[in-house]
Amino acid sequence: MSPICKIEREMLEIVQDEMVMKDRIAALLAQGPRTIPEIAEALHHSSYEVTIWLFAMRRYGDVEEIGRADVDGYFKYELKEKPANDAAVGSEER
Amino acid sequence: MPTLDSKPLDYDVMIVGAGVAGMESAASLGDMGYKVALVEKNSSIGGRSILLSKVFPTLDCASCIVTPKMAAAAHHPQIDPMVYTEVDSIVRNGDGTFTVDLHKKASYVDFDACTGCAQCEIACTVAVPDQYNYDLVARRVAHIPFPQAVPKKAVIERHGQAPCTHTCPAGVKPSGFVSLVRAGRHEQAFHMHLADAPMVGSLSRACYAPCEGECTRGDKEGTVHIRAIKRYMVDRYYADHAVPEYGPVENQLATRVAVVGSGPGGLTAAFHLAKAGHQVTVFEAESHAGGMLRHGMPRYRMPKEILDRDILNITALGVEIQTGTPVNRIAELKAQGFDAVYIGVGNQKPRIIPIEGRELPGTEIQDCMRFLRETNVGDELPDIKGKHMVVLGGGNVALDVARTAVRMEAASVSILCLEPREKMPAHGWEVEEADEEGVRICAGGATKRLYRDAEGQAQLEYLKVGTIEFTEEGKLKSFKATPGTEQSLPADIVVLAVGLGPSTDAFRDELGLTPGGIITVDDQTLQTSDPVVFAGGDAVLGPSIIVEAMGQGRRAAFYMDRMLRGEAMDVSFGDTLEMTDKQTVLDTSKSWRPVAPVALPVRPPKERVQSFECYEQTMTEAEARHEANRCLNCGECSQCQECVRVCPAFCIDFDMKPKAMQLQVGSVILSTGYEILDPARKVPLGYGTIPDVISGPQMDRLLAPTRPYNGVLRPSDGKEPENIAIVLCNGSRDHTVCNPLCCRIGCMYSVKHAQLVMGALPLADVTIYYIDIRAFGKGYDEFYEQSKGMGVNYVKGKVARVEQLENGNMALSYEDMEGARGLKKREHDLVVLTVGFLPNTEPFKLYKGGTLDADDFDYVRELDPVSEPCCTNVAGLFAAGALVGVRDIPDTVLHAGAAAAQVATYLESARAN
Repeated sequence: MSPICKIEREMLEIVQDEMVMKDRIAALLAQGPRTIPEIAEALHHSSYEVTIWLFAMRRYGDVEEIGRADVDGYFKYELKEKPANDAAVGSEER
Repeated sequence: MPTLDSKPLDYDVMIVGAGVAGMESAASLGDMGYKVALVEKNSSIGGRSILLSKVFPTLDCASCIVTPKMAAAAHHPQIDPMVYTEVDSIVRNGDGTFTVDLHKKASYVDFDACTGCAQCEIACTVAVPDQYNYDLVARRVAHIPFPQAVPKKAVIERHGQAPCTHTCPAGVKPSGFVSLVRAGRHEQAFHMHLADAPMVGSLSRACYAPCEGECTRGDKEGTVHIRAIKRYMVDRYYADHAVPEYGPVENQLATRVAVVGSGPGGLTAAFHLAKAGHQVTVFEAESHAGGMLRHGMPRYRMPKEILDRDILNITALGVEIQTGTPVNRIAELKAQGFDAVYIGVGNQKPRIIPIEGRELPGTEIQDCMRFLRETNVGDELPDIKGKHMVVLGGGNVALDVARTAVRMEAASVSILCLEPREKMPAHGWEVEEADEEGVRICAGGATKRLYRDAEGQAQLEYLKVGTIEFTEEGKLKSFKATPGTEQSLPADIVVLAVGLGPSTDAFRDELGLTPGGIITVDDQTLQTSDPVVFAGGDAVLGPSIIVEAMGQGRRAAFYMDRMLRGEAMDVSFGDTLEMTDKQTVLDTSKSWRPVAPVALPVRPPKERVQSFECYEQTMTEAEARHEANRCLNCGECSQCQECVRVCPAFCIDFDMKPKAMQLQVGSVILSTGYEILDPARKVPLGYGTIPDVISGPQMDRLLAPTRPYNGVLRPSDGKEPENIAIVLCNGSRDHTVCNPLCCRIGCMYSVKHAQLVMGALPLADVTIYYIDIRAFGKGYDEFYEQSKGMGVNYVKGKVARVEQLENGNMALSYEDMEGARGLKKREHDLVVLTVGFLPNTEPFKLYKGGTLDADDFDYVRELDPVSEPCCTNVAGLFAAGALVGVRDIPDTVLHAGAAAAQVATYLESARAN
């Protein structure tokens, strides 16, 4: 994949895809930690858009970085274990 | 409360804008004993300063500087913080006081109950750019603006109701379940739908989906296939749950309700009444429950096992359905002890038209309901194999009859209707599908007679319709057949599908009916002439679609419940939020990539006419989520109800309305701050097209403790940058964007960025491109020199262009104004544009009844910055902070203090006079 990365879609359009893409990213990370370019290559999406989706996942506690950046300056990200009593999703119906 | 004259004041002073200036003025005036209203349009006070990383030149943590001011303003006994509130107008009164009109926006969250736990935000299914992180990351529509928010309360952004949801007569929220399916939560999607309408499976097959007709995507590449998404959702759910997961509600009441008719409206009414705790019995004259869904809809459209499963959703609540039990008198129900009755008997009485030759031996004339009932209920289908059938009528029922007959191996099936094809009451797609299946459509024909031809075949002769007129509502008004245009269709069986009437004859003596048999009801409550009897569906509306009948059942249940509880009936029903402006949504999304609808899996015509199997097939999960993701989020909030489901404090309130207020105040301070210039206006610098060209405020967010990423990383790929360029004066001192002013703070906040980056990334090179460095404040020059000592590289030169290189880095073209001079290029892997600031011109619109003067640069004009700081041309109306010119935080605090002193002087002078 070329390192050249352009902004080709509006931010609102990109973030809307997060709700679909986050499960695809999660499925990938379930196989092992990856950097953003690695995720982008596997999913055939731009690394810029993956950055946006991944950091939203990090914000809401789905993924976390591992240790420090590698020699090329990239962090690896992995799925974050959620506490069993996480009430946000999948909690008891009211 | 002090007064300036006889008119009582609500507040001594109102401060509009709760950034640093507003909070400082409020605290000063509060300390002086004045009663202060601190109005802020956002849901937290703190302004832009709370979003900073650190402040210059001390490099103190911005949160440490600003949060104490936020807390002081929020908890001061003399200050009323009014967040999420916007001022609409400010008018100066004759006595020198002010009348302020304002409104508190609907947050849809009860702030008193909200604990700020953010569970709603985590559960929310709609992602939008986070303006508090300058669009570097997404947030949710339900959100707390930032971690240090004061008050720390969630708000839900709603821009009207999505057109799909607004249009559904049953009150189903397609925007909500589509959003849930998109997020992969099909179970929650089902439950959310169930809360509104219990016949989920039936609607997924047989609804004519008015929501799809209103879908904004329909104006682009094609409507979102909402019904197909629902079908995926319900099929997944029913496959996992053969029976409902719930039973009768805990709080059972003694009140008994009879529902007459088990069609979609009656069952919906029963469902909602049972959920409210009433004891509900449904009386059905036929042998099976379901009404038209059971008897009137062919199985290829409405599989009966799906209907049976839907009915379990209702009976699981304890609703009893008595089939084969016609109700002939309401009085009998009352005598049995029922406290209220819902009449949902539908429209099943066929209209019979006389046909010349109807006695022709060997031909059979029957009504459409009899035909459909016999094909839908019972073990054996009527034998019409090899017979020629003509269906009279052009509506959906006629199409159902014809398409059913095709599947029963009739020799030929024709439809004869008065209307031309394009005016047939049936849906166009259904006519097309019938055509594909071999039904002959004879549109624009009027029946003349039945006769037997020379070969002994029964024929239906018809004439071409010459002229035909319709009412404004599209109903047939009159027609004229053209003599001499006779044609014939083979007709062993003629089925009349020319209209159905309400089945209300039994109630003629007990309820008010129109001559046509329609039950007259109160439009709002659906109460009949008998106050304990309510009615809905086709018996009230005439021919209607399923969701209309369901909507009426739900509405009636709402008012029946109120009546049975002895509550007032003059309350409104349903969400009254206005529909989103579709054009606004289209404008917002006009440059988005086109996304074609998923091709719905449908069996080919030759295959589907072989059986009564459903010819539509269910989408896969991937298809359903892809299709759901075509939704444009018209209303912003999708109303998926996930926030309601997870909120531990029960504080979500979708019925909340904006609250208008009018306040009398002695004085007003405007402190609404500044605007940030959009760096995309400097097109050659690449902002908005090159991901690693970011703005100064975005850099501040990357450096803040509450940063959107896990460090200072490139937006393009999450890499730690090694060679950062900070470019000063983008859009300040710049006539190309009509902003001749120096921004006053860009140099220093860029020096701050450089120092903080060197702290965060010790190995990174940082270069600042500048025209000149303006380090005029106390300690500023030392701060600048300190950065040089840390190794920040300063290049005096104006950057003209930023281009992306093959390796992903950027080349800056600049004019070297020192050293070797000339045009140069240098490579960097992150570029920060220090942007200019612009005046906030909103306050000029707020002041009514006069003109609030602006200076030459469109900032609010101070009468005299030296002798009368903060005073505007309107006596008693003051301006503080960046509203009169951008300044740093210390200068803003100072200016706000001056504004407080000016207000005190004004108020005391007024009192003295």
